[in-house]
Amino acid sequence: MEKALNVRHLVKEYKMPKGPAFRAVNDISFEINQGECFGLLGPNGAGKSTTMHCVTGFYPANSGSIEIMGRDVSQDPKSARQQLGVCHQEETLDNDFSLIQQLESYAGYFGFAKEKALSRGWELLERFELKDRAHQLSEHLSGGMRRKFQVLRAMLTEPKLVILDEPSTGLDPEARRTLWNEINLFKSNGGAILLSTHYMDEAQRLCDRVAIISKGKIMDCRSPQELIAHYIGLDPIEEEIRPGYKLTRPPNLEDVYLKVTGQRLGGSV
Amino acid sequence: MLHSIFRVWKRYYDVFRKNLVYGVVTTFVEPLLYLFAFGYGLGSLIPTLDYMGVTLEYRAFIFAGIVGQTALFIAFFEGAYGGFIRMYYQRVFQAIAVTPVTLTEVLWAEILWDATRATFGIFAVLLIGSIVGDFSISGAIAYLPIAFLSSMLFASLGVFVASKAKTIEEIGYPQYLFIFPMFLFCGVFFPIERLPETVGFVVKLLPLTGVAVTARSFLLKTPVDWLSVSASIVWLVVFVPLSISSMKKRLVK
Ligand SMILES: Nc1ncnc2c1ncn2[C@@H]1O[C@H](COP(=O)(O)OP(=O)(O)O)[C@@H](O)[C@H]1O
Ligand SMILES: [Mg+2]
Repeated sequence: MEKALNVRHLVKEYKMPKGPAFRAVNDISFEINQGECFGLLGPNGAGKSTTMHCVTGFYPANSGSIEIMGRDVSQDPKSARQQLGVCHQEETLDNDFSLIQQLESYAGYFGFAKEKALSRGWELLERFELKDRAHQLSEHLSGGMRRKFQVLRAMLTEPKLVILDEPSTGLDPEARRTLWNEINLFKSNGGAILLSTHYMDEAQRLCDRVAIISKGKIMDCRSPQELIAHYIGLDPIEEEIRPGYKLTRPPNLEDVYLKVTGQRLGGSV
Repeated sequence: MLHSIFRVWKRYYDVFRKNLVYGVVTTFVEPLLYLFAFGYGLGSLIPTLDYMGVTLEYRAFIFAGIVGQTALFIAFFEGAYGGFIRMYYQRVFQAIAVTPVTLTEVLWAEILWDATRATFGIFAVLLIGSIVGDFSISGAIAYLPIAFLSSMLFASLGVFVASKAKTIEEIGYPQYLFIFPMFLFCGVFFPIERLPETVGFVVKLLPLTGVAVTARSFLLKTPVDWLSVSASIVWLVVFVPLSISSMKKRLVK
C-alpha cells in the first residue's frame, strides 16, 4: 500500500540575520502508513513545527525529499496537498466567516463540491460538539472551541493525511477527549496522522509510533510500548512528587524522553 | 492557476457581500464625499482652469482627479492594512497556502481583489461624473479596464508595504510620507504644471500622476503626458511581481 507520508533525509535551515544558518531539522527520515497515527514527541524548539511546515510544502527543505501519497510536495505541491489537511500550531481560522461558511470556502480551495462540503461539514460540527455554533463567527468562540474547529477543518475534505501541530493545546479535559475520539475515528477510517505534541500522555494514547525528536534529530522511533520497554523496562517507577511523598506509577514516555535525550519534555499534564 | 486565484478572489468577494453595508459605506462614501466637497465646494469658487493647454471646468477636472485618488486610497489601504491583517493577525494567507492553492495564487488574488474593490469605488465616481455630464460616457466605459490596472498598481504598493511593515503602525510611514503627498501633489487638485519645474519632474515619476493623466485623457479627452504614463506603467510592472515576492519572502522561511 502507498505510504501516506514518506520523509527522506529532510534538512531545514533558517537563515539568520547574522552568522551562519540555523539547522532546525537535521537529516530526519520517517514514513507514515495509511491508517496510522505518527507522533513527533519533543519539547518546544525540538523542530516539530519546522518539520511540519516542510511537509506541507510551505517551507522549502534545504535537502531531502517529501512525498504525500507518492506525490512530491516540492515538485507537485497542488496534487500533494489535495491529499492533505493541516492544523497549524497557531490559529489560522478565517474570522470573517461563520463556521459553516468557512468550511464551505475552505472546501472550495480543494475543488470540493459545495453540497458535499456542507453535508460533511455539518456531520463534523455535530461530532465535534460545535453544531450549535455553526452560524457564529469563529472569533466569538472560546479558545478551546476554536482549536477543535481548526482540527475539524483539517479533516473536512477527507484528506489521506492530516498534520496536527499540538492540537490539544488549550483544551479542557472534556474537549480533549472529544478530540482524541475524533482523531481515533479518522484513523480507523484509513486516514494517516502526523501529530506533534509535548504531552506524553497524548502521544501514548493516540500514536501507533512515536519519534523522539530533540534538537532537530529523531533519536528513536517505535511504538510507545516498545519505547518504554526498551529504555525503561516494565517495572513500576517510584517517584518523589513532593518532599517526603513517594508514589509508584507505571513508566511512561516522559521517562523515555529523559533517558534518551537528557532533557525533560516540560509539557506533561 | 486562474481557477485557484478565482476561488480565493471569491472568498474576498463573499466577505464583501456578507458585510455589504460596511463594504458599500467604506467603498463608496469616501470618493463621493471628495466629489461633493471639492467638485461642488471648490468648483463653485474656481469656474475653469488651464490643463495641458485645454480649458476645463474645475469641477470636471477635479472629478476626473478623484478617480485616481479613489484608486489610490481604496486599493492601497485594502492592500496595506487589509493585507497586513490577513497576513499577520488572521494568517489567512498561511491557511490557504497549505491547500491545493499556492501562496503565489493567494497573493495574486489579494491584489486582484483589492483592485476589484477600488474599481467598485471608481465606478461610483464614473457614474456620477457621467450623469452630471462632466465625463464622456464612452470614455468612462472604455476607462474601466484602465481603472482596474491603476488600482492593481496601488494594491501592489499596499501589499508591498504590508510585507515590509513589522507592525501595523509602521504602515503609517509610507501612508504619510508617500501616499498622502501623492494625493496632494500628483495632479488630483491642481495641474502639476503649477509646481516648480524640478518638483514637477519628480512628481511626474510618481505613480499617481500617470494614473490621473490617464483618467483625464479618457474622461475629458485631454492630452496625454507620456512621461508620467510610462512611469506609472513601470510602477505597475515592477510592483505587482515585487509585492508578491516580497510577501512570499516574509512568510516563507
Ligand atoms: N522562522 C524562524 N527563524 C529562525 N529560527 C526559527 C524559526 N522558526 C523556528 N525557529 C527555530 O527552530 C527551532 C525549531 O523550532 P520549531 O520547529 O518551531 O520547534 P517546535 O515546533 O518543536 O517547538 C527552534 O530553535 C526555533 O527557535
Ligand atoms: Mg511547534
